[in-house]
Amino acid sequence: MAAEGRYPSFNVLDERDAWDEHTRSIVLSRLEPSPLRFLTAEEEAIAGRICALLVDDDTPEVIRYVVSHIDRTLRESPGEGQRKAGVPEAKALIRSGLKAAERWAKAEYGLSFAKLDRAAQERLLQLISAGSAGPPDVWRSVPKQELFDKFRKLTVEAYCSHPAVWSAIGYAGPAYPRGYVRTQLGQLDPWEAKAET
Amino acid sequence: MMRRKYGGEEADVVIVGAGAAGGVLARELAEAGMRVVVLEAGPLRDPQKDFASDELSMQRLGWQDTRIVDGGDPLTLGHNNCGRGVGGGTVHFTGVFLRFHDADFKAKSIDGVADDWPIGYEDLEPYYARNEKEIAVSGPKHFPWGNFRGPYPYPEREPLSPNAYMFMNGCEKLGIRTAVAPLAILSAPFEGRPPCINRGFCNQGCMPDAKFSTLIAHIPKAIRAGAEVLADCMVTRIIAGKDGWVKGVEFVHDGKTHKQTAKIVIVSAFAVETPRLLLNSADSRFPDGLANSSGMVGRSIMVHSSYDVYARFDEEIRLYKGTPVLATTQDFYRTDPRNGFVRGYTLHAHGARPVEFANGVSKALGGPVWGPRLRRTLLDYNLYGRVTMVGEVLPNPENRVTLAGEKDEYGLPRAKVTFTYGDNDRKLIDHAVAKMGAILEAAGGKVEYVVPDTAHMMGGCRMGNDPETSVVNSYGQSHDIPNLFVCDASIFVTSGAGNPTNTVMALALRTADYIKEQAKKLAFRG
Repeated sequence: MAAEGRYPSFNVLDERDAWDEHTRSIVLSRLEPSPLRFLTAEEEAIAGRICALLVDDDTPEVIRYVVSHIDRTLRESPGEGQRKAGVPEAKALIRSGLKAAERWAKAEYGLSFAKLDRAAQERLLQLISAGSAGPPDVWRSVPKQELFDKFRKLTVEAYCSHPAVWSAIGYAGPAYPRGYVRTQLGQLDPWEAKAET
Repeated sequence: MMRRKYGGEEADVVIVGAGAAGGVLARELAEAGMRVVVLEAGPLRDPQKDFASDELSMQRLGWQDTRIVDGGDPLTLGHNNCGRGVGGGTVHFTGVFLRFHDADFKAKSIDGVADDWPIGYEDLEPYYARNEKEIAVSGPKHFPWGNFRGPYPYPEREPLSPNAYMFMNGCEKLGIRTAVAPLAILSAPFEGRPPCINRGFCNQGCMPDAKFSTLIAHIPKAIRAGAEVLADCMVTRIIAGKDGWVKGVEFVHDGKTHKQTAKIVIVSAFAVETPRLLLNSADSRFPDGLANSSGMVGRSIMVHSSYDVYARFDEEIRLYKGTPVLATTQDFYRTDPRNGFVRGYTLHAHGARPVEFANGVSKALGGPVWGPRLRRTLLDYNLYGRVTMVGEVLPNPENRVTLAGEKDEYGLPRAKVTFTYGDNDRKLIDHAVAKMGAILEAAGGKVEYVVPDTAHMMGGCRMGNDPETSVVNSYGQSHDIPNLFVCDASIFVTSGAGNPTNTVMALALRTADYIKEQAKKLAFRG
């Protein structure tokens, strides 16, 4: 991703020593692979493709982190904040959605979802986001737009928490204890990303 | 196991919830010599060790327990409004510290909508002033709107953020007045706390302690004055006696149920948990829940409409730099007869870090936005500026908190929150969205995303003089049960059009004064 951005040589992790220890340990932990304990290997493969398509980025270590965030959230989050009446709990929603995606792929193309080409995978995401995925015997029990929204939120919040993405978008990130000093329009503190294009 | 101070004995006051209101009440009543117990569902955190400069991991500061939502416009809860932990919502609030205007208390007499409050601005004025002084609110020498025109106790923040300067430029071109926002964030040292360093993570918990929260300001003072503050204690029931007065509460700590008796019970648990607790405390004498003879417990909840408008600029703005809200306008606060709606809104220049930015953009109107378009937008993150509205939402009894069929980890029915905007609310939002777009474009941006969102929550146990139509009097005292108080944003009659924390804390000071006075008169039976 970084190569296409405006800050190709910026690496936010170069500043890690300037961060407080708690923040540093949280951010660096995202670089370590963490074993999945809720999703099966088959589910992981489907979820990984969905996440990659949502953010249009298939950098393996980033998507691996995104999927591990989803796994951990489904496993141990204290709650969902809110859930629409009639919608299953996140665990059941995600699991039934992944299952339906796999059945859809096999019915439509005779292949596993993870093995479909990108256009076919995108087609399903489009249908889910519009609430119009079929056939009914595969999708009837899955609230499609709720499923899409759950994936959307869990994916973007993890994606935008990975330091590789911070670097790519030129986000200088954690700023404690030093804070930001030069805050007029167009001013930069010395450690911030400088646009190169 | 907990070490207890007032375990096994009757306290004078038990307070449910250690947030904005609970913190103020605890300090006030403890300093008056009353024996105070505060029960907080969430943990006690240390800003240095438990906060981080990170959006994702700090989502836990919000109340994440699942609430069921429905209605025409189901709400987003969690980090959007209520906190969990000592300090409550003040731990993750943006620090905007506005007063309501006199017109906020008189929607019915001025505009023929909603209802008047049983109190007016003048009743809260001394308490607003006390709050601002006690936490050294920073703000302008001259504030152009409302009844209080400054000066604020501490100088206004300087420097601001690039997004705030962009906003001020846009407003100036359109002849809209702006001011540096009054903030519960220090601009100079105060009580051993340093001024703000523009780190920008106010919503993730302030690590340097520059932003006020009751966690670092009121609660430590309450404890020094003798209050017992217990974290990780979820109150599950208020106990009513045969005589119709309340006797105390039951709470769960580490899976075990405990009891705390008290002469007075104050519920300060936020606009969802407060009505939920009253409803869940129903017994044979009060089958519809405590304090609910009016049927108004849980009804007429309000949020603020809080749409965000994002515009893309040719030059970098960098939304992550600095305190999120540093500049504001209330030029559209009051009813304008030229509009097709009544009441109004505040507009804030509003910074955003990447998670909030991407989450918002990806659910923008006309969306969802994903794939290549989302990627292009993220790569241009530093080119975006944002303005956010705080719009008044009129009360409607059908917008309400009820009990869902589903139970939580304590075996209690979850809250179900039903919400639909009314016509006036929608017209007001349309007006504000157009105005925010105009400001961003005047500043040189091109509007790209409008994100529907809400903030804050008020109502659900409204105050009033008539026990038939309200839950509590203006002091938060239940009409039905004289030693049961509600003190938080749930007693608001209308939402106002500005951030509510100063008003919540002013009401808490006023309730504390009332309780002290009544206790002296021995009005509460021991």
